[in-house]
Amino acid sequence: MELVPRPVTIFTGNLGSGKTEIAINFALNLLRQQQKVSLVDLDIINPYFRTRLARDCLAGAGLNVVCPTAELANADVPALSPAIRGALQVEDGYCVCDVGGDDVGAVALGRFKPYLPTGRFNFYFVVNACRPLTGTVEDIHKMLHSIEKSAHLKATALVNNTNLGAETDAQVVLNGEKVVRQAADKLGLPVAFTAARREIVPRLRKEGLHKILPLDFYMLPPWKRE
Amino acid sequence: MSKILMKGNEAIGEGAIRAGCRHFFGYPITPQSELPHYLAKRMPEIGGVFLQAESEVSAINMVYGAAGAGMRVMTSSSSPGLSLMQEGISYLVGAELPCVIVNIMRGGPGLGNIAPAQSDYFQSTKGGGHGDYKLITLAPESVQEIIDLMAKAFDLGDQYRTPVMLLGDGILGQMMEPVELGEIQEVKQAAKPWAATGMRGRGKPNIINSLYIDPEDCENINKKLFAKYAQIAAKEQMWEEYQLEGAEIVLTAYGTAARICKSAVDKARAKGIKAGLIRPITLWPFPGSVIARAAETAKCFLTVEMSMGQMVEDVRLAVNGTCPVYFYGRTGGVVPLVSDVLAEIEKLVDGGDRE
Repeated sequence: MELVPRPVTIFTGNLGSGKTEIAINFALNLLRQQQKVSLVDLDIINPYFRTRLARDCLAGAGLNVVCPTAELANADVPALSPAIRGALQVEDGYCVCDVGGDDVGAVALGRFKPYLPTGRFNFYFVVNACRPLTGTVEDIHKMLHSIEKSAHLKATALVNNTNLGAETDAQVVLNGEKVVRQAADKLGLPVAFTAARREIVPRLRKEGLHKILPLDFYMLPPWKRE
Repeated sequence: MSKILMKGNEAIGEGAIRAGCRHFFGYPITPQSELPHYLAKRMPEIGGVFLQAESEVSAINMVYGAAGAGMRVMTSSSSPGLSLMQEGISYLVGAELPCVIVNIMRGGPGLGNIAPAQSDYFQSTKGGGHGDYKLITLAPESVQEIIDLMAKAFDLGDQYRTPVMLLGDGILGQMMEPVELGEIQEVKQAAKPWAATGMRGRGKPNIINSLYIDPEDCENINKKLFAKYAQIAAKEQMWEEYQLEGAEIVLTAYGTAARICKSAVDKARAKGIKAGLIRPITLWPFPGSVIARAAETAKCFLTVEMSMGQMVEDVRLAVNGTCPVYFYGRTGGVVPLVSDVLAEIEKLVDGGDRE
């Protein structure tokens, strides 16, 4: 996917919408265009399957991973790294933020508003239309508004990440695309891109989708890890 | 009906609602907090009660009250919270009150950590509170199975007038999988003529109590409970057999550990090793009968747990010396890798019996 990004890209959405996998893949994608990319773990509510778990692997790929370190990495406290401010104000690179789910997760973003003037960032609202609470246009709007309120920021676009985990096929993504587009149209916002697991991307292209972020997965359950 | 993608913790909540549960009392604790979070939103939508208690002790006693009034009621917590609830669970048993108690286990002992573990097996199945009792304990391995077992949990509780435990580890609570929910249906619930719901023309009040001052009365209650447990043990054992046909090395594991073992069994079979798995779904009543049967033809057993070895004791009782029972476990929040389990299986092949 060719990107014309702003310096900061923020991913929000409801709990389990797939923000973490998207943020990781988006950041790795940017890394191919730009040498300096930070991935910021702003997730203060999810206890498992967080960016910090893949830190070593991602740092090895060249990403600057900003997340709680050492004993705080596994602590059940809403700890944020002091390095986040620096990453958000970067002048010669990009910053990708993975925000915790729902309005409660988005609270962490509110305090960084002074570093996020309009035009400097894209605020992407990730939707999985197969999740409870974001299956319809009305529910998507409700969730988006509650997150915007907590984050003190307005969304600039939606992202379609409709999936059923390992059972995702092209039809699942396309069904979600319809709902997400309707929701975006009513808000006067664009759909920035569609995210989908890599294997089904060719099929989605044939169906007329062009802006697609192919996903490789980093947050696997233990029985799928090698 | 199309599928949706759910977190294990959300599925426990939705499964309870679909089983007719309209009362939830609990206190948040990682890694099960998405469950009260979900029910806080969901219960008001369907006219149910969600109440965050001031502590786990308070929550389990609220459960006692609602169960005594004949309501389908649930509470949930994670390991340290369950320790706090043990007195209340014993009272529920003593008063023969049905309810569902969820434990999404984390690393212990003590405050431990928020990582997944299976070290509360003894506490759940052997009577974690005081007195002589057993607790029906169900152990799902997937999000879909959570939905199916929630209905079973409430039914068993009502049928036998007993608390039922749903036991999973943090991964089961946190992971996401597609589920088929189906339509919400009217739930047929057994009549509860014993419930304290007002006299309504009856001459004698229904009293919910677990106080039996006369030792002989108390002994009789124990006998009554154990007659019930004998029935449950005879009728309600549940398990899954995976690649058990012709298996020489029989793995036993439940929940997340069983998912890991299935991958390891697949890899072993691909190498020509005759491995299989028995996955207990009811941890009590423990499916000892199938294990005893498998022991007649197996070369050995390998029990895998996310603990120092708890269920393995029940496996050994069931195998009863017919063949060796080995153990592999990681604990304190560490999860075994598929490759580690496979290596354990291979050790049993190479040298025949490990010693």
